[in-house]
Amino acid sequence: MRRLPLAILLFALGACRGSEQTAGPPGAIARTPTVAAAPALGFLDESREGTPVEGGILRRRLVGEPATLNAVLQSGLPEQQVLQYVSRQLLDFDAQLALTPGLAQRWEVSDDGLEYRFFLERQVFWEDGSAVTSADAVFTIRQITDPKVPSPVFKPLFEDLELVEPLDARSFRVRFRNRDALHAYAFALPLLPERRFSERSIVKTRENRAPLSNGPYRVARWKTQESIELERNPRWFGVPGHFDRIIFRIVPENAVAYRAIVEGSLDESWIDQSLKERSAKDRRFQSCCRIVEFYNLDYNYIALNNRSPLFSDSRVRRAMTMLLDRPAIVSGLYHGSARIISGPWAPDSPAYDASVTPLPFDPAAAAELLDRAGWRDTNGNGTRDRNGREFEFDLLSSAGSTIGGQIDEVFSGELARAGIRAHVRPLEWSAFVERVDSGDYEAASLAWAASDANPDPFPFWHSSQFPPHGVNNAFYSNPVADRLMEEARRELDPAKRREIYHRLHRIFRDDPPVVFVVNASQKYAFRRRVRGLVTSPLGLYGFWPGPLSWWGVPDDSVTGGRPQ
Amino acid sequence: MIRYLVRRLLLAIPTLFGIVVLVFLLLHLAPGSPASAVGSPEAGRRVSAAAREEMRKLYGLDRPLPERFVRWIGRVARFDLGESFVDRRPVSERIREALPATLALNGLALFFTLALAVPVGVAAGGRPEGPFDRASAVVLFALYSMPVFWAALLLQTLLSVELGWLPLYGVSSDPAPGGILGLADRLEHLALPVTCLTYGSLAFFARLVRAGVVEARSQDFVTAALARGLSRRQALWRHAFRNALLPLVTLLGLLLPGLLSGSVIVERIFAWPGLGRLYFDSILSRDYPVVLGLSLLGGVATLAATLAADIAAAIVDPRLREEA
Repeated sequence: MRRLPLAILLFALGACRGSEQTAGPPGAIARTPTVAAAPALGFLDESREGTPVEGGILRRRLVGEPATLNAVLQSGLPEQQVLQYVSRQLLDFDAQLALTPGLAQRWEVSDDGLEYRFFLERQVFWEDGSAVTSADAVFTIRQITDPKVPSPVFKPLFEDLELVEPLDARSFRVRFRNRDALHAYAFALPLLPERRFSERSIVKTRENRAPLSNGPYRVARWKTQESIELERNPRWFGVPGHFDRIIFRIVPENAVAYRAIVEGSLDESWIDQSLKERSAKDRRFQSCCRIVEFYNLDYNYIALNNRSPLFSDSRVRRAMTMLLDRPAIVSGLYHGSARIISGPWAPDSPAYDASVTPLPFDPAAAAELLDRAGWRDTNGNGTRDRNGREFEFDLLSSAGSTIGGQIDEVFSGELARAGIRAHVRPLEWSAFVERVDSGDYEAASLAWAASDANPDPFPFWHSSQFPPHGVNNAFYSNPVADRLMEEARRELDPAKRREIYHRLHRIFRDDPPVVFVVNASQKYAFRRRVRGLVTSPLGLYGFWPGPLSWWGVPDDSVTGGRPQ
Repeated sequence: MIRYLVRRLLLAIPTLFGIVVLVFLLLHLAPGSPASAVGSPEAGRRVSAAAREEMRKLYGLDRPLPERFVRWIGRVARFDLGESFVDRRPVSERIREALPATLALNGLALFFTLALAVPVGVAAGGRPEGPFDRASAVVLFALYSMPVFWAALLLQTLLSVELGWLPLYGVSSDPAPGGILGLADRLEHLALPVTCLTYGSLAFFARLVRAGVVEARSQDFVTAALARGLSRRQALWRHAFRNALLPLVTLLGLLLPGLLSGSVIVERIFAWPGLGRLYFDSILSRDYPVVLGLSLLGGVATLAATLAADIAAAIVDPRLREEA
């Protein structure tokens, strides 16, 4: 374990994916001072420890079945986990959040920041032996922008695309309508083989379950709802992975995945807080397995609808933040493995300014703010009111999120003592998302999941991005913040852009759009036989080479025990 | 009898139509949509508004509800259940893939339930309030009240993780051995989930059989049989049990469709690739065509099984035959 110097978290150029799928994991530096003592979870890099053993099988877990293995149509974590082995990207993020060459060996940005030119590697091939060409890249980007193609992950990244065209067999150019310093992030983009789909809709073809690989592995078998097996791709041109086979087993339940790891039929899985606690007391687990824990870029917050008369006043939103006992949440619910945040980034994001200390838990000061905003208990019923409206609202949460529900309960208890009535209302996921995305709510407990290093707050907090058009579903509007967000998008110099984000961070604390809660650690259980792990703020799998650098020693307890 | 059958079959058509309309309405009027269902609470991912709108159009969700219904019914009439929103494969293909796993699991569970419930019920009912009746009642109620997810995890920990006797999850080993060993391997994988599905319904059935037997044994024909010199055992099985069979047959008719619906909890815990998981996942992802297809299948199965149960009851009970 080593600490990662801040400077390494360079602000890469380029930017792209907004809040897309979760990636996972890791790496973080405990550098924010929080009131509750946070365990020092370090950046884990075993890539240079020991001599990798070649061969063997890696057994990984998927929570659900991928809907497709067409890289453009992917929408969730299971797809991303499998495709990482099969579908290489033009550019990659490395463990330090920087963009690095992938299929593209280099790229150029025009002075006005609108045009990008990419130059592909010479020796890159599809599984069938044909070359990866600029026609594939152009085809892929055109498919993404086709209204008939559902590409939820990539569509938002190319919404202001002006044109894309090949220059020659190995290079192509892309032009955007607006200047955005982080446009390059859009090119962490897997490609589709154009010839394979010629003239057919890419949406319905059988090939989506048997993708043509241009990565280190290819799909050998897919047993519906059971497993996906990958084998080495003989045409792979890059550094090979260490395992001969990767088997993904679909195991929906965390508790069962945990048992499968102990038993030896899985090598790794994401686990939750309660399983981590269980593992500490589980001697069998300790003898064969280990917990890998780190911080990534995800965080929780409680969205407040700024258009509601309850939360339109900035003082009220500050008071709400000061009424949430975040130190108690960190120590009580997360047992120390979470960090309080003061703005819309995790502490390991370069945009986060560690000197912006979070507002304290201070019910007395909060009460004063509420009084000043006109919310007083005038009718003596124990609840604050203003102009005849009681301070009472529904606090929505997603029924699937245990920790979110617990945070809501803690919050509503504290609010009740301050004369505010919040009713916690768990909703099923899809129904929940619909309410929040349409702005039909007053308060809602949310998680923000980062799939790439893009810290651009514009889509989420700029006043031009209200629903239904955009995703600023808190309806936050602050003219100064608006201006800074626009400036940051235009600023091509990473250092200057970072300064702007730091100024924004201060505004987000002092005129909070929502209640920012914590950046909690990610926990994974691994069999000890798997070595060579590297964590990153993008998780265990959200960067390159990610899991490709893992290797495994033969595990006697696996062969001796029951085979999966 | 034939006329009775025809009448029942004709009656089934409006019933089925009613079921389908109801499911269609419930599904489409429920909050959420395929676009908002992308992602999960764990992943927390969101889709941009523009992408969401495109998805709605793509799935035809921008069309008025009646139009969507007529289109769907039109396709169903041509035996086409449409395509899944999630992976764009035919709904019938997805159902066909998941059907065998669920049938095997639920069929075996039903078999074992009956194989255990009938003797236990008859034995208990043979001597009500006797030692066996009391003991079995305690055990059965204890089993009945045990939550299945808890029992399943406990059994997994004990029999798979600690002792290594049975596989933890899945339908077969990977790679699965061939021939007779392959069959044994599959049966091994079935053991735990079948146990979990069996133990709960066992109590229900055994008590039902017991109640029937208790009632029948106090009837005159049983007394008469005993008076004719039949042994207690003969009187119980040949006379009392036969009468207790009637409610069981009716109930079975209602349970047979359950063979198709699967058990969400057991299938999730044992990572079983069955219809229960497909149904559950499809509801969460608002995969309307799959949910509708499965509901239709369930509706047809329920009607068919009810019909079969009525016929069986007529065979078991001559009085019903004559009425018909």
